[in-house]
Amino acid sequence: MTACIALVVIGPSQHMLDVILLSFMWAGLALAWNIAGGYAGLISLGHAAFFGIGAYTSSILTVKAGVTPWIGMWVGAVAAAVIGAILTLICARLRGPFFILSTLAAAEVVRIGALNWTSVTGGAEGLMILPTPSAMNMVFGSKTTYAMLMLIYMVVTYVVTKAIEGSRYGYYLFAIRDDEEAASAAGVNPLLARTGAMCTSAFLTAIGGSLFAQYFLFLDPTNVISPELSFQFALIPALGGLGTAIGPVLGAFVITPLSELLRSYFGGGAAGLHLAIYGAVLIIVMLYFPSGISGALMRHLTWKGDSAR
Amino acid sequence: MVAMTTIGQLVFSGLLIGSIYALMSMGLTLIFGVLRVVNFAHGEFLMFAMYGAWAFVTYTGFNAYVACLAVVPAMLLYGALIHWIIIRPGLNKPHLVVVFATMGLSILMQNLALLVFSADLFDVPPLNAGRSITIGPFYAKLELLIGFGVTLLATAVIHVVLKSTYLGKAIRATVQDGEAAQLMGIPVPRIFLITFSAGSALVGLSACVMIPLFSVFPSVGLNFVLIAFVVVVLGGMGSLEGALLGGICIGVVQSLSGYYVAPAYGQMFFFILFLLVMVFRPAGLMGRRGEATLGMLD
Amino acid sequence: MMRLSAFASVIATVLIGHLQAPAQGQETIRIGVLEPMTGPANKNGIENYTAMEIARDMINERGGINGKKVEYLLADVPNPTAAISETERLITKDGVKITMGSGISPLAIAVSQTTERHGVFHWETAGAADIITKRGFKYTFQVGPAGYRYAQAAIDFTMDDLTKRLNKPIENLRIALLWENRAFGKSVGDGIRDYAKEKNIKLIYDEGYDQFATDMTPIVQKLKDVKPDVLIAISFPNDAILFQRKAKELDFYVSALIGVSAGYSNPDLRGSIGDMVDGIFVSDFAAKVNPKALMPETVKIAEEFFKRYDAKLHRPPAGHASSSFSATWALFTEVLPKAKSLDAPELREIALKLDLPNGALVNGSGIKFTNNDWAPDPKDAGQNLRASIGVWQWQKSGNNQVFPKNLATHEPIMVPLPEWSKR
Repeated sequence: MTACIALVVIGPSQHMLDVILLSFMWAGLALAWNIAGGYAGLISLGHAAFFGIGAYTSSILTVKAGVTPWIGMWVGAVAAAVIGAILTLICARLRGPFFILSTLAAAEVVRIGALNWTSVTGGAEGLMILPTPSAMNMVFGSKTTYAMLMLIYMVVTYVVTKAIEGSRYGYYLFAIRDDEEAASAAGVNPLLARTGAMCTSAFLTAIGGSLFAQYFLFLDPTNVISPELSFQFALIPALGGLGTAIGPVLGAFVITPLSELLRSYFGGGAAGLHLAIYGAVLIIVMLYFPSGISGALMRHLTWKGDSAR
Repeated sequence: MVAMTTIGQLVFSGLLIGSIYALMSMGLTLIFGVLRVVNFAHGEFLMFAMYGAWAFVTYTGFNAYVACLAVVPAMLLYGALIHWIIIRPGLNKPHLVVVFATMGLSILMQNLALLVFSADLFDVPPLNAGRSITIGPFYAKLELLIGFGVTLLATAVIHVVLKSTYLGKAIRATVQDGEAAQLMGIPVPRIFLITFSAGSALVGLSACVMIPLFSVFPSVGLNFVLIAFVVVVLGGMGSLEGALLGGICIGVVQSLSGYYVAPAYGQMFFFILFLLVMVFRPAGLMGRRGEATLGMLD
Repeated sequence: MMRLSAFASVIATVLIGHLQAPAQGQETIRIGVLEPMTGPANKNGIENYTAMEIARDMINERGGINGKKVEYLLADVPNPTAAISETERLITKDGVKITMGSGISPLAIAVSQTTERHGVFHWETAGAADIITKRGFKYTFQVGPAGYRYAQAAIDFTMDDLTKRLNKPIENLRIALLWENRAFGKSVGDGIRDYAKEKNIKLIYDEGYDQFATDMTPIVQKLKDVKPDVLIAISFPNDAILFQRKAKELDFYVSALIGVSAGYSNPDLRGSIGDMVDGIFVSDFAAKVNPKALMPETVKIAEEFFKRYDAKLHRPPAGHASSSFSATWALFTEVLPKAKSLDAPELREIALKLDLPNGALVNGSGIKFTNNDWAPDPKDAGQNLRASIGVWQWQKSGNNQVFPKNLATHEPIMVPLPEWSKR
């Protein structure tokens, strides 16, 4: 953690700041996803819907009602949590691929809805927030401020994750994830626990969405509520290591700079090469390092006789 | 009277295109049913096969149906290869390993296609100069009718294989209960290999039927993979007849809703249909009750 | 745990460190170019970039600009998020002070937003959405026509030309509008609707559709029911092909079909649907116009451009490619030579003073930018009111400009379109 703060404070080049900022944001989003996906075993490929709900709600309130995003983002988060709860309740009994596909379908419904509900969301042409800097409206001229904001987001999600991990609630979640029948026999209510996890996850993801909206200042449904984005939310924790707190962070800090790197070196050249490499890397990591980077590192470091936890 | 013809045409066209959706999804449902894995690269398998069919037609001059002779075996081998490299190592690991590995495969395949073929749309010449056959007051393109025929034929053949041959029975046993099947002496890993390869071969067959109807380009898989998933779930995992029924349902729903409601909402309708099925009858139209909820898939 | 964090930080820093390369200062003019070289719009990206490269080669052969050669830094922007990141990278890491692009509207919006934030001058050659010039930006200049002009061209053509050929006054002409429901389709669709209302023209059908539809049956069936004379369709290549095939399959035909850019202007359409494509009109950038409409010096430049483009891609340039070349050439010959630096305020002043007549650019355009002084919309700034737009037609001899009269090289043919069985 300290290293991250140090990185920001040292104030590297503008471009590096951009990558760091995005890494923080992705780390936060990955941690949020992980609460549902890693801890509760609810693998969702539709989290972009929550992201979008957060981003659009706070932005629509800003643009149409002049409400500052500092307030608007909580509204979006609550909306996302409600949707998350409904989704979990509906799909409560589903397992495995059925659940995964349901989340995909639900996210697509949200996307197509946003695309066509033009009067509210601006539809395909997108929604734009004016770039005039104003702390009240969460628009900043300096990138360092944004980086700070994203860092805070990441820290908050990390703290929440750790809190869940160490609490009784966390134990319930792990129990349900690993053996539901035994857990229910022990008196844990799976439905309630799952719904709670999904709500928290959706809430935090939506906040991330609002922050993103304030940074990019332009939203459109095709890119903000896309399946590609949903995959990314799940991919990063999976690569970093599900079910641990540090996993998603690691994942974000490896993937984000890596994608930027691949795109800037290869992007201008053979079209698609950088993505092909990305795909191949993904396959290899998933098959040979299924507990992700954190798992691999853990084992490696433990074997070396390292007694650190 | 005009309204009747319109509805009739919509249903008829929906039926035909739905059968093609079904054919494209049959491989997926078999793989789902037997191996219990989600192959997120399914759309890309279709894309590769369509490129193969296109290349065959363009370089040999024979039509797309003759291309089956080359494409189906090629896809069989490709399926076996992917099973060996990616699926098999992922089977004993947590579910999401295969999910993400196949996602990675999907990205890899899409971009390889982009590198090799560029983003241009490729097509094959139509039969009968693209004109339709008329059946009563209804129109249908020859290729669609052929597709319908092929789907029925394939369903019938596979049905017979599943019911009457030893292999078929072994497959059905594995679908019902993998552990028990293994205990009974069925070589389950080999069944997995055969099913995955056969499923891929089916995708090859559907690609040959589809290339006269749809252009191929690197991201064409995305358009179809979501449809395939919905068909499979609607019909019931592992159920061939379910896939056929599911495909036709989707085709007709899409056609009617596009006309009577609004084409802008396109795929939203069958996603909603999908979610409704999930809520009320998760095993799908023809799947066995409880399959989706009793955790037989973990 | 601490070890792990430290390890992670080391990895991250190494990776991030790789991205820090020192910017170089040389005696060249470095221009950042953002085009979608991968992703769904990559056809446009590749063609636009080819056209820009030709402009660069041509100017460098002529000694560059004030003695300095032009150098491009190309960034691939397949989607708006990448557009923002890549623009940021070009500006903050590579230090470019001027950018060009961007292929299609959503990218143009994202790129220009980023450049404006950094106070960098952006020369937009192809993006069309109306909103690009309505955001109060100072340093973004859109050289190509805005979305509403595509709409106007289609309607003007219908009113001025088709009514005469079909022998039906505009009040009796049945006009249908079909638009794909993403940014471009919707904004042109809105434009057509608004302009039609202005001219008191009624649309008998007006529907958006999902671009990824795999079955066009319901749409074609609906259109069959309303029996239009003229269909104005805004589609992308894949849906245009599916639509045409389905129309032939269900025996739906109109007297005239006006496609708007995107799908119907794609050169590969003929390869995909063969002769079905003949007779279709396209409202689009003008690609190759009547040389009589061009200024004499421009004619020679145009010839050279067409020759070089054909040598590289073995086909005539599509409208967006011509537009990219024209805009780039104008930048090289009319803006940059007058500039002492690449500072945005200076470039802006020069751009605003430009007053090139129609016919000055290779595609028939002139240049005159709005600056909050445009009567229909005082908020508009940076739009080129003299961007050429017109209608061309797919004909056996090529894609020939048929409207407006001064830019036209050929007459429209095949009006009304014959029934399918006779084609």
